Amino acid sequence: MSDEDIQRSELQWSGLALSALAIVLAIIILSAIALAIHPPSNIEMVDPATLHLRGEFIESNLGTTAADDDTITVRIVATQFAFVPRCTAVPAGKRVTIRMAAPDVVHGIIVIGTNVNTMVVPGFVSQVRTVFAQPGDYLMPCHEYCGLGHSEMWGTIRVLPQTEWPQRPGKVDCDAR
Amino acid sequence: MSTNHPKVARRHYSISEPADEEAVKAALAITPRGAFVLAALLLCMILAGWLAFYFLLFLPRGTVG
Repeated sequence: MSDEDIQRSELQWSGLALSALAIVLAIIILSAIALAIHPPSNIEMVDPATLHLRGEFIESNLGTTAADDDTITVRIVATQFAFVPRCTAVPAGKRVTIRMAAPDVVHGIIVIGTNVNTMVVPGFVSQVRTVFAQPGDYLMPCHEYCGLGHSEMWGTIRVLPQTEWPQRPGKVDCDAR
Repeated sequence: MSTNHPKVARRHYSISEPADEEAVKAALAITPRGAFVLAALLLCMILAGWLAFYFLLFLPRGTVG
């Protein structure tokens, strides 16, 4: 194999490797644009000291709210060592906005079997938008070590079929069906 | 059979008798092609694995934004 052959082989190999990289990047970029995929990043501040006293995250406002325009918003407080409310109902096949805040330390959520995965940092509102395709109960553990009771900190997302989802706007809880 | 053929190269090779120059040339003519094919095969396997994870696991789990 001459030097020219080696150089040609290296160029061919570089072309092949760069093509593979271009394919992967093109798929990521095109699907991110087409499906509006991006990492959950929401720079919105909230006072953790008064979280339970006033504003969006007071106890009566937690849980799932179906608005008049059919948007579904879930508000959850992550606190040592529980999610409030413990169980949250959402409809299958509809876009859901999950908003979370923490009054104490850094927590995190992952909804098992989905791509919902974010940290919940005191002082900030974490927000994730997603669609749950399949009805069922989804486990939602805290995945950021938050203290001695961390392993006991988990919640449930109950995805109800459209037929069982209340048609009227307002609050919806896990006993809605 | 040409002396570049792999069977010829193999016949000339022996541990006790060092390979002659012709056999070394014959082996060197073929080895890089094999390495290229092997590397391409591995690249295709990695790419296929990534595509399978992305389309069969990541996207079906629901998009987030």
